[in-house]
Amino acid sequence: MHTRFEHSLGVMHTATLLYDAIRQNSREVLESELAYNEDGLKRDRQLVRLAALLHDVGHGPFSHAAEELLPTRDDDTRYKHEDYSAAIVRTKLRSAIEDHPLSPNYDFKAEDVASFLEGSAKAKQTLFWRDLIDGQMDADRMDYLLRDSYHAGVQYGRFDLQRVIHTMQAIPGRDGGAPRLGIGEGGFHGAEALVLARYFMFTQVYFHKTRVACDVHLRGTLKELLPGGIFPKPSDADLDQYLTWDDWRVLGLLSDGKGGEHGQRLTSRDLFRRIYHTPEVSTLQDLDCLRKIRDELGDLVAAEEPASKSWYKTGTPDIPVVSERKEIAPLSKHSSVLANLKANNQVQVYAKPENAERARNKVNEILRKI
Amino acid sequence: MSSVWNERIGLIAYLAERSPTGWMGRTALMKYCYFLQALRRVPLGYSFSLYSYGPFDAAVLSDLGIAEALGLVREDVVAYQVGYGYQIRAAVSDKELRQFGGELLLKHQRDADWVIGEFGNLNAADLELESTIVYTDREAYRSNESLSIAELARRVSDVKPHFTKEQVIGHAESLRSKHLLQATRNR
Repeated sequence: MHTRFEHSLGVMHTATLLYDAIRQNSREVLESELAYNEDGLKRDRQLVRLAALLHDVGHGPFSHAAEELLPTRDDDTRYKHEDYSAAIVRTKLRSAIEDHPLSPNYDFKAEDVASFLEGSAKAKQTLFWRDLIDGQMDADRMDYLLRDSYHAGVQYGRFDLQRVIHTMQAIPGRDGGAPRLGIGEGGFHGAEALVLARYFMFTQVYFHKTRVACDVHLRGTLKELLPGGIFPKPSDADLDQYLTWDDWRVLGLLSDGKGGEHGQRLTSRDLFRRIYHTPEVSTLQDLDCLRKIRDELGDLVAAEEPASKSWYKTGTPDIPVVSERKEIAPLSKHSSVLANLKANNQVQVYAKPENAERARNKVNEILRKI
Repeated sequence: MSSVWNERIGLIAYLAERSPTGWMGRTALMKYCYFLQALRRVPLGYSFSLYSYGPFDAAVLSDLGIAEALGLVREDVVAYQVGYGYQIRAAVSDKELRQFGGELLLKHQRDADWVIGEFGNLNAADLELESTIVYTDREAYRSNESLSIAELARRVSDVKPHFTKEQVIGHAESLRSKHLLQATRNR
């Protein structure tokens, strides 16, 4: 078992290493395209470190399982845990940041950290560094891949972290576009390994049939436990209420027999059973087959979980690679492996354990007919 | 198929098909989706946040990957004199595309046409800039702020210092003249 605090320390450490490497490798780009000077770089280094440390502080109980139960804004978009992280930084952590004895050495406030975390225009040119916390080669995924691998007892998430760090650069924008983070040619195999590590961790751990079933039950449990089935908003009035919802409170309620059918299934480990899944890279025919199965099974389907619904994003990453001759090409142009890696659009279908055998038999019948 | 992501990928293929050149880049796709959601209130369900290159949500690229895996679109990498870009094209018939876009496309085809009409001729850098202007304006609007064009331009320039002040003001004025700004419209 490991905690989000341990992960947060790891993200702060990795983000610092990445920041220092980019500062060293790309001084000219940072100065010419983002108007940085030494004081600005010193200030933003500390800001990025704090943001990395606090980036997940707004997670609800059981993290990503809870995200679907976050409320929506007036424009119908759903709040994200980053919005709660920002709200917590602005209120609960304001004094810890601004009244710290070392704070006067850096010219920023809690508001600057919050704006950076939520991706607000108020974060100004510091937004360039957001890719270090929430991007395609960010410190968050570098840490969680290695840390989750270690704690899960698998090797799938491993890659050469040091190589990736030392070859990270800021790359000038094309035709007036903004500069981006990229990697030197010497590090492209490291970046390739990072992308493959994500692929393997997703298919083998994060989208594992039993782990996904637990997510279904955690969501169902939380929906049952929360007033109105939804978390409080990250507003001044509701934030204290939100913060009372942590893992321990939910575990206590589960142990008291609360949480409805899903809670009971979690505590007695009587989880939904996977009865069918499409291939990892499903074709239109595969999805048509899924539709037929779903239609025929009717109420026997207890849950349907597409990979796309996962917090993990399966799109092809766009990581620019700079050659020694300063030519820029995407990672997929360098790596034939990645050029052929397609997005995972698998769908897993679940039934209640008591219906699983009947459902599987029916699936087999349908497949024989197709 | 009725799930939201399937319909979203139908809309992505439609945007590619309707682009003036017959293809769009990744920046164009990202910003079209942002404009659809922010300016036309199309319920795509993306969660955009601001980066130095404008509003971004990795879920859009996930959908693009799925659209490509299913054969709805084709994506090619193109080398430019400096750097590279992408060309995303619809790879299915109009009928199949509409089938996949489902009710979402049926209901919001006009919105997609409008976005292509308004922004389809902008290059990637201008799309980054205009989407950042809209994002900054909407953020101020949500906080009940009223901005002058000069103040809006100052905030945008802080995010994108590689654009000149005149460039930012020019694009902001253009958006305001089309009544696409909310916090900046009255001053």
